Amino acid sequence: MEYLVWLEETAFSTWMRESGPAFFSNLIFHSVAMGFVVGVHVATNLRLLGVAPRIPLSLMRRFFPVVWVNLFVVSLSGVLLLVAYPAKALTNPVFYLKLGAVLAALCITRSLIHGVMRDPAHDAGCAPTKARALAALSLVLWIGAITSGRFLAYTHQMMMASHQN
Amino acid sequence: MLDALLAFSQGTGIHAFMHTAWGWPIVESLHFLGLSLLIGTVGLFDLRMLGSARGIPMRALHRLVPWGVAGYALNVVTGLMFLTSVPDQYLYNPAFQIKLALMAVAGLNVAFFYRFVFAPVKTANAAADAPRSAKIAAAISMSCWIGVIVCGRLITYYRPPYHWCFWC
Repeated sequence: MEYLVWLEETAFSTWMRESGPAFFSNLIFHSVAMGFVVGVHVATNLRLLGVAPRIPLSLMRRFFPVVWVNLFVVSLSGVLLLVAYPAKALTNPVFYLKLGAVLAALCITRSLIHGVMRDPAHDAGCAPTKARALAALSLVLWIGAITSGRFLAYTHQMMMASHQN
Repeated sequence: MLDALLAFSQGTGIHAFMHTAWGWPIVESLHFLGLSLLIGTVGLFDLRMLGSARGIPMRALHRLVPWGVAGYALNVVTGLMFLTSVPDQYLYNPAFQIKLALMAVAGLNVAFFYRFVFAPVKTANAAADAPRSAKIAAAISMSCWIGVIVCGRLITYYRPPYHWCFWC
């Protein structure tokens, strides 16, 4: 907790928190980039579940550079939002729920990209049952990540470690 | 206008639901899900027309668009739930006004696209580059929707009455 107080009192954290333009540009980057990360995943998972079966499955990988770039933006803006209000997120279990959901979803992505999506034999039609199950789970995890992200703004126990309550 | 929106929200129970402990964040989460559906379907179709992921037939990718329309519908409903619950925070908010204007431009662009541009896109082969007119429509679509998200996020920044817009 002393560490969080120290971080909150640094000039950089104070600026991130108190400058409207700094804080809101971070929020905007975080939201737009998260929209792209989740968007590409939603499309890929829908395709795996049998929607738009004429899309060659292996070619969906060509959209993933969009995910990696936006994931970088999400992480960077996320860290900066954390620097602005470290105690607000780190003392809230919902934050770890969000982080867990994102990491689990990305593990699924990794296994799909290196597995079923690499094999052109699965280009046409429906994906194998296991891949469809993973796609459904991925959708649930991304919805969980979005929901816990939104709830972070409503469930925090403290805003700042340096002036509590 | 303001009173009519509020009366609608109160009469239908939306107002009461939105002011329960989890009402607002639940509807916000659904709003973000709708936005992700739109980016993942219409956004990827736009990116393909702009030249990425060549090899995916544009016609095949277009089969995802109904899911984007569903996301849009979800966002109209959830958006109206926000608007009618606290209309004064939206009607006088410059970010909200610009957001609506961008949605109108995006809507006109959709009409223009299906009327004049879609036919050659639909029959193009898998590796084809989209026609110039399709690229323009895709760029307009992408910029409008990104702008809509940016304005949506800025609504809480320009919160009336601290930031009354300069033209109201």
